[in-house]
Amino acid sequence: MMALFRRFESAIDNGIGRRKLGYLLIALIIVFFLWFPNDASQSNYAKTVFISGFFYAIMSSSWALLAGIAGQFSFGHMAFMGIGAYVAGLIARDGITFALLGINITPESISAIGSIIIGTIVAGAVGLVIGWLLLRLRAAYLALFTIAFSELFRIMMLTEYDYTGGSNGLSLRPLLQIADVNVARQVEYYLMFALLIVCLLGLYWVANSPIGLFLRTMREDEDAASALGVNVVRYKILVFVFTSMIVGCAGAIFYSDVGSERIIPEQLEILQMSLIIAYAVIGGMESLIGAAAGAFISRYLLEAMRQVVITLPFRLTTADGSDAFVWDTGFWRFALFGVVMVFTLRYMRNGLLYPFITWFSGRDIAMKETVSIRESDDEHAARLETDDE
Amino acid sequence: MSEINLELNKVSKRFGGNQAVDHVSFSVTKPELIGMIGPNGAGKTTLTNLMSGMLKPSSGTIYLNGRRIDGHPAYDVTRAGLGRTFQITRALGRMTVMENMLVPGLAHNPGARRPALAARAHEILSLLTIDHLTNELSRALSGGQRKLLELGRLLMLDPSVIILDEPFAGVHPRLQDTISNYIHRVHESGKAIIFISHNMGAVFELSQRLIVLHHGALIADGEPHVVRSDPAVIDAYLGHDEDD
Repeated sequence: MMALFRRFESAIDNGIGRRKLGYLLIALIIVFFLWFPNDASQSNYAKTVFISGFFYAIMSSSWALLAGIAGQFSFGHMAFMGIGAYVAGLIARDGITFALLGINITPESISAIGSIIIGTIVAGAVGLVIGWLLLRLRAAYLALFTIAFSELFRIMMLTEYDYTGGSNGLSLRPLLQIADVNVARQVEYYLMFALLIVCLLGLYWVANSPIGLFLRTMREDEDAASALGVNVVRYKILVFVFTSMIVGCAGAIFYSDVGSERIIPEQLEILQMSLIIAYAVIGGMESLIGAAAGAFISRYLLEAMRQVVITLPFRLTTADGSDAFVWDTGFWRFALFGVVMVFTLRYMRNGLLYPFITWFSGRDIAMKETVSIRESDDEHAARLETDDE
Repeated sequence: MSEINLELNKVSKRFGGNQAVDHVSFSVTKPELIGMIGPNGAGKTTLTNLMSGMLKPSSGTIYLNGRRIDGHPAYDVTRAGLGRTFQITRALGRMTVMENMLVPGLAHNPGARRPALAARAHEILSLLTIDHLTNELSRALSGGQRKLLELGRLLMLDPSVIILDEPFAGVHPRLQDTISNYIHRVHESGKAIIFISHNMGAVFELSQRLIVLHHGALIADGEPHVVRSDPAVIDAYLGHDEDD
């Protein structure tokens, strides 16, 4: 088996190369997603599962930039998403007046897109304030602060029943007005998929720019970063604003009847936030595409595992004469998910997809090469002595 | 040659009841090799942190090349032309050696082209004998190699004043030679270097000027052979009878 893989590996290395194969694979995946809703045999339910998969992929990949790359282990991601959605909903329903600026937005004068834009901006503005408040907090303190902020926001939304609808949630203005359900689902699917692609491109652009390098420096050591000339304050705030705007926008669009018809405070619970983190960890916290894939695959499997049909072997039958046993997994699927997470953290801390990503990028070759040149101070000194002679 | 003018005027730092740095004044106006010594707890690292913007002085002023830098954030001081290393090395562990080098290069000049920076980084790494480790994660480097990497990063900033906090501590003697060589080369290129060390051999061999701190105060500043025979310095190092 291993020998077969080695042969395949050398064929690829001598042929099109791993990187190109990786790009080809990504292209095929994109083609699959573009084709999927056109497959007449797929139900609207399947499309809905995919739409929610795309949404969670946005959530997890942007969290991966914030926590995996910039080192800001925040639990406030869902809250920022909620801010985007609630603000968009409230503005579209009630309007808003800025007396000082002489701006008066009435529900009639604002479109769904307008409300989504305002929701996104407000999420970014709150991200700015929270980023600023978090400047002096690191690691566990930052996590605790963001949990408190997130709960504060959830409880506010739950309690202010008159405005937010409390536990019944808030309906946002529908973004799309398409009468035919089948067509609507198809458009919603493409909209969410496009949003995912745009977000991933944006996240990758940041991660590969000098800003991404500075964010990783900040993650490694904030003091060293500033001693090297990196303005830690600016980049810490920037990463909070950027990721808050992404999830604020994604939340506002998703709940504008694209993926779900209303936002409920239950979505903002710590459990939901923990799921975002779990998806990212399983896929690979330091890899944006890994976190996105982790989220999508996890969402899909969690949905698929709602009901597990086990075909009985040896012509066995159940009490009612069926040859298959149907198991309604209920919350057990989350327990299984927990086991996967525990396994990942213990044995594959870089995520389950990490081996694939490093293989395709060719990084595993580079790693093997560098391991062979590692040396201690003594060995290094001895080498210098030899060089001198 | 870049302009050099570092000036400290009565710089003090107090932590609660502890006067860590006490009215320290000195200036550096030419490419000098300055050793900074003092017994443990004399305030050397605190003074370094004050100069590099990691700490804000309780009183006093610091000017660098005509710009007041005390109380300015560290990144700003770095960009103004003062680079430093840390007593305990701060290699960016999960980043490669090359990425470690690119960070200061890009922070200093965000518009710089990466290939040009990488070429310069390679040149510096080769001077420091660690160019073969370019693609290695810096956490895999040995202690001495990390020290060398830290020195390399500084050059990417092209600072006019460099402060090295214990550059020789815990480093193999052969690598110490590489570091001494580096210090000479950098000095010859027209930069002022202040280095803190407990290694008296290295201090007297390298430095052209010596600054001695004791209980946070500057007790001597001058040529090494003069400072060596200063009674106050001997007293600080050998101690004196409290009953005297």
